[in-house]
Amino acid sequence: MARPAEKRNIALCAAAGILMLAAALASLLVGKYPLSLAALLGGDEGQLRVFLTLRLPRTVMAALGGFALGAAGYVFQTVFRNPLAAPDMIGVSSGASAGAAFAILFLPATAASVTGSAFTGGLLAVGVALGLSALAPGGKNASIVLAGIAVHALAQTALMALKLAADPERQLASIEYWIMGSLNAITLGKIPFYCAVCVVALIGVFLLHRQIVLLSVEEGEARMLGVPVGRMRLLVLVLATLVVASVISVTGVISFIGLLAPHIARLLTKDNRLSTLTLSGLMGGVLLLVADILARSAATSELPVSIFTSLIGAPFLLYLILRGNGGERHAA
Amino acid sequence: MPPDKTTFLVLDHITAGYGRAEILKGISFTANAGELTGLLGANGCGKTTLLKAMCRQIPCTGIITCGGEDLTGLSGRELARKISYVPQRTGIGISLPALEVVLMGFNPRLGLLERPSKAQERQAMEALAAVGMADAAHRDYQTLSEGQKQQCILARTIVEDAPLLLLDEPESSLDFPHRRRMMNLLADMVGGCKPGGDVVSSGKAGLVVLHDPALALEYCRQLVLIKDGVCVAVLRPGEDRIDRMEAALSRIYGPVCLADLGEGGRRRLVMLAKE
Repeated sequence: MARPAEKRNIALCAAAGILMLAAALASLLVGKYPLSLAALLGGDEGQLRVFLTLRLPRTVMAALGGFALGAAGYVFQTVFRNPLAAPDMIGVSSGASAGAAFAILFLPATAASVTGSAFTGGLLAVGVALGLSALAPGGKNASIVLAGIAVHALAQTALMALKLAADPERQLASIEYWIMGSLNAITLGKIPFYCAVCVVALIGVFLLHRQIVLLSVEEGEARMLGVPVGRMRLLVLVLATLVVASVISVTGVISFIGLLAPHIARLLTKDNRLSTLTLSGLMGGVLLLVADILARSAATSELPVSIFTSLIGAPFLLYLILRGNGGERHAA
Repeated sequence: MPPDKTTFLVLDHITAGYGRAEILKGISFTANAGELTGLLGANGCGKTTLLKAMCRQIPCTGIITCGGEDLTGLSGRELARKISYVPQRTGIGISLPALEVVLMGFNPRLGLLERPSKAQERQAMEALAAVGMADAAHRDYQTLSEGQKQQCILARTIVEDAPLLLLDEPESSLDFPHRRRMMNLLADMVGGCKPGGDVVSSGKAGLVVLHDPALALEYCRQLVLIKDGVCVAVLRPGEDRIDRMEAALSRIYGPVCLADLGEGGRRRLVMLAKE
């Protein structure tokens, strides 16, 4: 078996890329105001406005956000050698939720303030978790996870306190709705900064993909393979956190993609290399695009996108596992 | 006598332990370039601890120099280039092709963002072939048997090409022919000193923890016997008197006797427990 695996992985990535483009195209056209390619190309002004102000930003965010969450999920699972690892393990989404709730309660009620506060909250939570873990001797994976759990619990408590203080009619509903996650309120003006942060951090992650795989090796051995384990892990986790925080601060918490996409990718490639990282991202993009299309077309009103990410993703994962496309060996 | 006997590795009064428990209580010995040194001792005597201390995985005191250079002063990356370390069980927990695992060996010499080159990939394939794993290059490391994993890690050690090899029971899961193949490869890597052959100094040395005294007596130019965290004897199986070696080995293993099965002036020693 010379090189068929590599060729197959490239073919898989290409197929997933085409699937994602198709989903993106569908996402551009489907919705409350159906658009048609013919009318858009014909220069229909109403259609163009809907396209530019609603559909395009939403589709870009769904594609990029899904890709980002999938790729970041791969990073967390690999670095922590844990198939259940997710960004929230070190507190990013609970921190972002608390940040969003804080803004809804205390800051001027603009979209930008909520997004900014969520972004800050997510980074702050991870910063505290990583800072605390650095105090522990040895700085092992386990202490990062434990510090993450502690920060997660603190952020959840803060969130609960904020919910208690919230006006149940308006603020509490806003908080709950934010936590459910949606791509509904995305506008062109809202996303450039966060997209830029996300893309830059993603580039960093892709450049470091070999070091990320090496971080999955037991610490002492990795160090003797020339990996500056402590610093490299910190850098990779910060990059992955930036990736996730920049997405969920705009969209709200989107569950399951970070867990699911890397598993689908690994079940297909059966290894952990650049192609698996890429495929994790592409599968995440497909999942979020399709989930978002369903979220806005399944019912008369918008539904939270997380309902659909789990609804499509979970059966697909089960199908792959039951089909025995296994060889899935992640945790030692 | 070997023609080139230069002291390459010096360990001077190494102490180390876990927490407050002191495992190594002042170990000192030297090793020559081109020679494989076997570390022998009962379970828990500190062999693994010594290798870990040399890799700075646990804090230690004392002086370690290699090729005249103080290892304690090196940065992590410099140390990684200097030492090729094979732990008892490797901690590779995710699915990767065996070839990728071998390619990890180039990492200490690559830039952080650099990929292994085509030439290095060829070298890795050659190393896999040398350990008898050419067919398994594209197999998932996780699906290999424990013995195949050890062969794969040996291939990684070959491409690392570091001056100092520290190997912790690298042959524990191997069958008889593969054990011999591995020991031959190690002896080749360190100095081309096959059993009975001449030493050609390569500027390399190897410390290998072994539980099989037959392998140790045949392939190691020098044996360091460790008991309760101290070095109780340093033997040269090719040169020392047999009764002296028996006495020393009996201190760590209980009463043993050695028999020489060699012919034509070439020693081949076996060790048996004394009835």
